[in-house]
Amino acid sequence: MKAIHYINQFFAGIGGEDKADQTPIFHDKLIGNSNLLNGMMPDIEVTNTIVCGDNYITNHTDEALKEIFAWLDTKEFDIFFAGPAFMAGRYGVGCGIMCKAVSERYHVPVITSMNEENPGVEEYKAVAYIFKGGRKATFMKADLTPMAAFAEKIAKGEELLPAAQEGYFPRGIRAEIPQPDGIIAADRVIDMLLKKLNGEPFQTELIIPKMEKIPPAAPVLDLSKATIALVSSSGVVPIDNPDRIQSASAQKWGKYDISKLDNLPPEQFKTIHAGFDPAAMCAVPDRGIPVDAMRYFEKQGKIGKLHDWFYTTVGTGTTQAFAAKFGKEIAQELHDAKVDAVVLTST
Amino acid sequence: MRLEIGAFHVKDIKFGDKTAYANGILTLDKEDLLKVVHEDEHITTADLKIVHPGDNIILCPVKEAVEMRCKVSGGHGVFPGVLSEMEIAGSGRTHCLQDCSLIVVGEHAGGFQDGVIAMGGKYQHHTIFGDMPNLVLVADTDEEFERHEQQKKNHALRWAGMRLAEYIGQCVKDLEPENIEVYDLPAIPDRSDDVKKLPGVLYVLQPQTQMETMGYNTLIYGWDGNHILPTLMHPNELLDGCMVSGSFMPTSSKISTYEFAVNPMIKKLYEQHGKTINFLGVLMSTLNVKMDEKVRCVKMAGQIATSLGAKAAVVVEEGYGNPDVDYTAMLVELEKLGIKTIGLSDECTGRDGASQPLVSMNPATDALVTTGNVSQMYEFPAGMEVIGELEALARDGNSGGWEGCIRPDGSFVMENNGMFCANHISGWSKRTCADF
Repeated sequence: MKAIHYINQFFAGIGGEDKADQTPIFHDKLIGNSNLLNGMMPDIEVTNTIVCGDNYITNHTDEALKEIFAWLDTKEFDIFFAGPAFMAGRYGVGCGIMCKAVSERYHVPVITSMNEENPGVEEYKAVAYIFKGGRKATFMKADLTPMAAFAEKIAKGEELLPAAQEGYFPRGIRAEIPQPDGIIAADRVIDMLLKKLNGEPFQTELIIPKMEKIPPAAPVLDLSKATIALVSSSGVVPIDNPDRIQSASAQKWGKYDISKLDNLPPEQFKTIHAGFDPAAMCAVPDRGIPVDAMRYFEKQGKIGKLHDWFYTTVGTGTTQAFAAKFGKEIAQELHDAKVDAVVLTST
Repeated sequence: MRLEIGAFHVKDIKFGDKTAYANGILTLDKEDLLKVVHEDEHITTADLKIVHPGDNIILCPVKEAVEMRCKVSGGHGVFPGVLSEMEIAGSGRTHCLQDCSLIVVGEHAGGFQDGVIAMGGKYQHHTIFGDMPNLVLVADTDEEFERHEQQKKNHALRWAGMRLAEYIGQCVKDLEPENIEVYDLPAIPDRSDDVKKLPGVLYVLQPQTQMETMGYNTLIYGWDGNHILPTLMHPNELLDGCMVSGSFMPTSSKISTYEFAVNPMIKKLYEQHGKTINFLGVLMSTLNVKMDEKVRCVKMAGQIATSLGAKAAVVVEEGYGNPDVDYTAMLVELEKLGIKTIGLSDECTGRDGASQPLVSMNPATDALVTTGNVSQMYEFPAGMEVIGELEALARDGNSGGWEGCIRPDGSFVMENNGMFCANHISGWSKRTCADF
């Protein structure tokens, strides 16, 4: 198998912060720690090193990727490496950007390494194998070792074990496995029960993530002066779904102008939601996004104004991470538009 | 309450001239047994087969699995309130043909709730039934009203299975068991001080009772579980056959009638009783579809647990998806009341593994045992012999199959959902889930 390795300006020996705007450089000979990585993998040949400045990749992502893709398109490779990035935040994000882009475009395994405090972990752990790394470059060999070992397993077609055993940050994917010691569930229950009763440490088999508690906003004091927006996970969109929002496991949202509409006519709107029988909502899209009712209240003077745009996505199968991202992005827009309150419709 | 389970360890099942048990061999008079099956006029065709671990055989569509047993003393039947008069199970002596089961398979028609058992190949060990010899009843019925329904009550077939299991069980009624398991748990106030000092533990069972139409849900003494409120029961009642598995919801998350009785979780709690815990009993709860019903059951169960002075509870959910709400709510309610909980159920992580594993999650549920993943995909090779009709998996709306899941060469792919009771929420599962 063949691999290509991405590193930043510092580990390429170009320079530090002053060289962080370095545009991509493509090496046909391995440089920097690419040599160390290559030496660890008998079944994989690292053929090239890509170098890019941390500021350039993070601040000029589109340009950087365009250049890098143009070069990568001419190369043959089966695996892509980046880093390790240790605690270096921008380097971590740069490795994450590269891994995500390469995975999406070339569909090859992408492997990197970061310290748990590197912000790149949270942002990119779902899209790359990010191995748990040390805090600084003295861990170079220690961090490259599990990356190389994992890539070797891929090259040999060996079974890939759960994240905890392999040493990467879980990607938000869960799958069934044989219980490693072949212990039946009833015995596992007893073991956990006795430990919990005795106040001893125990390991749950399904970690429930701590949920972020968001304090509710203050009540709207005078509805008749308030601007209200409609936000929905009902999947109601313009009939041609111009933003190509996914029917399940949505990764984007859309906003659509209703400033000139008193309702959502079925010739112009429909739901693309795959989680329920859409017939009733397609017949009357206001059942998902009640523009008609809000206009009624607006005319009655019950509310001050219906916001000119509605915001929409699909709820079914959509991950919490994407839902939180949508929420933040939409909330920011509504805040900037001085919207006072939101009616959030779900299905 | 004291129950003696007289064990007969079946090593093999054979057909012969007379139904009898000797030296680990269960011999069956096929012709005579088929008469028992045909006692119900709704059974139109029936056959009996014997399968062994390692056979290159698939059973599909599997409706039910039952242990063959008979009541020797302390009661009149092994399915009280169902096949015999209503009386409390769990006392006296019951003789059991252990290490084997009776499996009921539809000759043609399957449904959402039915399943697949593999006796050999990669998935042999995914169910306990792949590891034991089984008598297989393959039959069809004239229940035309549901032949093309996705949800089937499977009444004639399930009842034929119970009738047959009890009839065969009679062959060991007068024999001396090879060993006797004793389940003796006195009334809670009558226990010794040494036992009372130990933390009281409840087995909180949430059987699948969500179907509003009668005839599909798990039965408790023949009573539809949808119609009960949380009830304190003695563990022996379960070990002695008070529960009959339902015919509703994806089968891999179901508990078969075999497992409700031959219940490893109850047996393990019994083993700990008097040593590390004071096993208080079974808190039989329900799973519901309406939020107010969910809340009512959880609150009432919490009150019973508190009144009993429970310090810990094992909460068991027969199902996934919507019932996860009841499951998490029960765990959270008990934790709020200061009762330490362990959860026992399976997960649904989606085809890509990225879905939230339980519909309802709460960080208070910090001790969960996972028995499997209903979304896991299983690939079966071509060339396995089928008892029943494999096409039922693809054609009849099975929860783990779909149109096209069987390829022209006979190989097929299915979701865990459709593998019969495979996640063994009874406690037998040797599988779990992990983050990748």
